[in-house]
This record gives sequence, C-alpha cells and structure tokens, in this order.
Amino acid sequence: MSILIDKLFSYATKFVAIAVLLLVAWIFTILFQNSIDSIEAFGFDFLTETKWAPNLEKFGALPAIYGSVVSTFLAMVLAVPLAIGVAIFLSELAPAKLKSPVGVSIELLAAIPSVIYGMWGLFYFVPIVRDIFGGIGISMLTAGIVLSIMILPFMAAVTRDAMNTTPDILKESAYALGGTKWDVIKDIIIPYAKAGIIGSFILALGRAIGETMAVTFVMGNVHKISFDLTEPATSIPVTLANEFTEADTSLYYSSLFELSLFLLVISFTIISIAKFYFLRRQRAA
Amino acid sequence: MATIVTITEEKALEVKDFEFTYASADAPSIKKLTMPVAKNSITALIGPSGCGKTTLLRSFNRMHDLYSGNQYSGEIIFKGRNILTAKEDLISLRIQIGMIFQKPTAFPMSIFDNVAYGMRLQGIKNKTELQGRVEKALQDAALWNEVKDRLKHDANGLSGGQQQRLCIARAVAVEPEVLLFDEPTSALDPISTAGIEELIVELKNRVSIIIVTHNMQQAARVSDYTGFMYLGELIELGLTEEMFVTPKEKLTEEYITGKFG
Repeated sequence: MSILIDKLFSYATKFVAIAVLLLVAWIFTILFQNSIDSIEAFGFDFLTETKWAPNLEKFGALPAIYGSVVSTFLAMVLAVPLAIGVAIFLSELAPAKLKSPVGVSIELLAAIPSVIYGMWGLFYFVPIVRDIFGGIGISMLTAGIVLSIMILPFMAAVTRDAMNTTPDILKESAYALGGTKWDVIKDIIIPYAKAGIIGSFILALGRAIGETMAVTFVMGNVHKISFDLTEPATSIPVTLANEFTEADTSLYYSSLFELSLFLLVISFTIISIAKFYFLRRQRAA
Repeated sequence: MATIVTITEEKALEVKDFEFTYASADAPSIKKLTMPVAKNSITALIGPSGCGKTTLLRSFNRMHDLYSGNQYSGEIIFKGRNILTAKEDLISLRIQIGMIFQKPTAFPMSIFDNVAYGMRLQGIKNKTELQGRVEKALQDAALWNEVKDRLKHDANGLSGGQQQRLCIARAVAVEPEVLLFDEPTSALDPISTAGIEELIVELKNRVSIIIVTHNMQQAARVSDYTGFMYLGELIELGLTEEMFVTPKEKLTEEYITGKFG
C-alpha cells in the first residue's frame, strides 16, 4: 500500500514537472505561429529596419531593440557600482545593528511591484529629469534611471549574499598577513564571490531587458532611433504593452508577435548564461 | 596558581594577567592568565575543547579585534611593549606575528600571487625581489619542487597538504618573528601532517612558534614547551619532555593520561 502511494506521488510530481516544460514549449509555439506572417513578409530585414509605420504596413524592430539595449545598458551602468557599494557596506562595513534592518529594507524594495516604480517615475522623476537635462522628461534617460532603481535592490541583495559566502577563515588569513579591510574586500571577497556577483548582474540584466510596466510610463513609445538620451524612445516590451490594442491588421499583429518572440529568445539566453555558467559553481558549493 | 617552568631563553612574548571576554559572553573565556613564550622554540598549547587555547592564540595577533565587542585586559608584551593598547598598529603587528589556520586557506589567485600577497600588501612591487622571495619562501615550506612549473596555476588546484604548506610559505614570506599555528593539521591526512610537523620544527631556527593542537602526540613530537589549559586558565607550563612524563599538576596528569578531555 505504502509503495503504491510512493509510486503515485512520484508520478504526480513527474507529471507536474513535465507540464511546466510543455507550457514553455506551448508558449514558444504560439509566439512562433503568430509570427509566421511577419517573418514571411520581412525576413531578416525585420531586425534591421528602422521604420515602424503601421499605416504603411511597414514594421522594423530596430528602434525597439535599440531602445531595449540602450535603456538596459544605462540601467546597468548606473546600478552596478551602487549595488556593489551597498553589498560591500552590508556584508563588511555596516555595524551589526545596521546590517539586518538595512538588509531587510533592501529586500523589501526588491518586492515593490514594477508598476509602482513606473508611476513614481512618471510623476516624480520625469519632472526632475526635465528640469536637469532638458527635453520633455519622458525619455530613454528616465527609463534607464527608473530601471536602474528597480533592479538595484535585487542586485545589491544577491551580491551581498554572494559576498557573505566567503569563509571567515579566508578573510582572517588575509587580515593575518597585514591586510586592511579594503585589501580583504578587493583581493579576497570580490574574487571569491565573483561568479555569484556576475551571475546576479546577468539575472538583473535579464529582468531589466524584459521589464515592461516600470518603463512604459516614462519612455514614450516613440519608434525613432535617437542618440540624444533625453528624447523619448521605445523598447520591445513598451511597444508590446502599448500597441496590441491598436493592431488592426494581421501583419501588424504578427509583427508584434515576432517582437515578443525575439524578446523571449533574448531573455532565455541571458537567464541561461547566468544560471548555467555563473551560478552553477555557487550551487555546487 | 599555575606551575610554570622557568624559561632560560630570551622571551618572544610574555602574557601577564591576561583576561579575555567574548562580546556575547557573561564570563571571561580566559582568566588572569600569565605565561612566558620562549624565543626560537616551539610552545604547544593543549587542553580540552573550550579551554581557551585558540582564544589565547588569536589574542597574540589581535584577531579578536575584527569582531566588535570583545574585551580584554592585562598585558601581552612583545618586543618590550604591551600590544593590547589602543595605539598598537595592528597591520604591522600582524606582519610580525603571522598565523596559520585550522584549514588551508589558499586565496582565490595563483600560487605565486598567494605567496607574494603579504609582500605586495607591504608595497613591494619589484619583480625580481618578489620572485626571489617567493621562491625562497616556497623552498622554506618544502613546496618549491612540487609547484615550480605551475606557479601561475590557481592555488585551489593543490592538495590539502600542499595548500597548508602554501599558507606557511605565504606567512614565512613576510619574515615574521612569531608564527601562530591554530591546529594546522586538523584537516589533513597523516602523511601531510607529518610533512607539516617536520616543517614546523625546521622553522623554529628563525621564528618563535606557538601551536594549538588537539593532538597530544603532536604536541609531544614537535614542541619544546607545552602549556596545558583548562577552563580558561593555564594549569601548567613545562618542558615538553618533562611534562608528558612527570606532570606536576594533578589535572595535567589526568588530561594526558586520558581521564578526561
């Protein structure tokens, strides 16, 4: 009897696990199927064309790809040094009394729904960016800043966790040779936690590139490639969030699907690199 | 009062009325401890778990200062000064009093960089000087022949015994006057242990050594003096050859004959 229950349980869990894989495959298939019209109409030009003109039935993804890449890059450039700083403070410098309250509040920040970052960005950040950098405030720059604020807590928390895995005895060995706190941080802790830190950055990158709500508010959804960061722009998720309701032709509809397929492939690749390359060692330890 | 043998040699360290209390503890872990440490000889500290021997060892290079709230009083005299004062420069103290830990602690860098690390911390950049001193330190640690062809390799690729010798090379490279060994062979196999013990004995010509060990045979094999600690106090300090044969204190006798521990 108990053997039967074990077997049933094992089958049930196996079924659920396989169901998840099937779900992913299903999503892929649907995105692909719906993209076929667009793929047939534009081929590879879809990724290099800069015009997105629904009224002319002409769809090019380059402005959205450019926007995704640049806003994410901006977010990373702003967030990485801050995250490392916060993590170093929390794992090595903060007095014990501060460590846990600050650590917990950073984890809480990571739990704020992204739509709230978007609203906050629109009402409070857009005017600030407008006053300081000019333009209308709704821009690539604002999107990058809001994104960086959004991914910062996650990056800081995971980086701190990675740094905390450094064995005390290893740190003490460096202190015992006459190392200062700074020596120990840069020569021992950061190299030791490197894989985990890079992995967390890549996960944050994956989150930033797929982020929709936080940036939809502040980016403007303008399909134009501009090197002026104070100009409005768009990204793949922003386009998707804004335009499905307006997709009145099947080619328009299909182009949006191809865009989403492209986003899924990018996100998958990024997460896979992070998980299988950088975070594997940490898991084994 | 503890029975302490008269030390005829010059003294490397002198502990006087030393008392130590951990941040979270109510009672001191070391109570009014007084003990001389002879120069250019090996002093072993033995005693049951929790007797305070590692705590005492970590006081000599002020390791306890890395964690806030620990309190100490009394004196530890090193080169004519009390090193427990607030004005003591801990960086230079730790260069002069090195430490080897329970487990090998190879840094996440190459074999060469591991040994050169302490020298680089002191600002030595000259390549030929670094190379010469790294080679010498590795030879002193009996590791040179095994690693000379792969100095650029990651140190974590070495075996446990090799890593521990690497740590000794790293500590010796900065030319300390005292070396503290905190159960240096507890994570090693018997053959590596024998190698490390041999090395420790060779090193005493140049440095004064204090070794904490759980293993009484080890203390008997390597040390010149042995201190027996119990419940935060030094019970007896004697010449190793005498103490293991004719201990003066009853507690010491009971411990080394295995009546408790």
